[in-house]
Amino acid sequence: MSTPRFDELIHAPTRLSLVSLLAATEWAEFRYLREQLGLSDSALSKQLTTLEQVGYVEIRKSFVGKRPRTSVTLSRAGRAAFDGHVAALQEIVARSGLTVLPGG
Amino acid sequence: MTEPGITPASAADALAEIHARRDQVVTATLVPHWYWPALGGLIVAFTAAVETRRPWVLAVGSVAYAIGLAAVVGRVVVRHRAQVHTSLIGVHGAITIAVYVLVLVALSLGTGFAAEAAGLAWPATIGAATTGGAMTATGLPLMRYLRRVMTTRPLGGGR
Repeated sequence: MSTPRFDELIHAPTRLSLVSLLAATEWAEFRYLREQLGLSDSALSKQLTTLEQVGYVEIRKSFVGKRPRTSVTLSRAGRAAFDGHVAALQEIVARSGLTVLPGG
Repeated sequence: MTEPGITPASAADALAEIHARRDQVVTATLVPHWYWPALGGLIVAFTAAVETRRPWVLAVGSVAYAIGLAAVVGRVVVRHRAQVHTSLIGVHGAITIAVYVLVLVALSLGTGFAAEAAGLAWPATIGAATTGGAMTATGLPLMRYLRRVMTTRPLGGGR
């Protein structure tokens, strides 16, 4: 179990959704993230740059045939921060006696 | 722990969002429904081509199988734009997949040898058809089961 550590950077609504998607993946394509989150290219790029600057994500650019492909991975530091953030949220909820229903 | 200025209700909302996003990834990365009957059909057709013992049928069947398999797997790979994290599948999920494959192989061989022992024509095709039918019938329930395994795993670093 991770040490609870609330992370303000991850908790911002759009970034929380983005990091949650990345935490469930080994890697995800830029296009996939954009579609799942309903963001524009520039909005997603901005969020990813913010996360990349603190070392939470790694962005790889490659080519599949002639098509450029950008894939994003949550770094070890990003995963540790996410796990700590989840533990912090769980602690806050547990202390209050609330419950969280998955998929709710 | 840093004391955040958020209410328990918003923490609960954030956890629900994290759960929902994980479910979204798991659902999007499972193989589609048509994959199982398509793969089963290809296996049966290829086995039947081999069992005709006619070189030209085997040649055509081999090429058709290679093209068909490339098309089926290629279609799944092309639409695959994220890879689910291995920790979500976990040991339990990996064992389930391994046992599933072993059971299918055993079913194919067992049925094939039984058909041969009974003197039936096309024993290998009968074995392959049994496996193809089993894949078609159980592929979707297997995916449902794996989905449940992955989406009920504790969030964060919990295993």
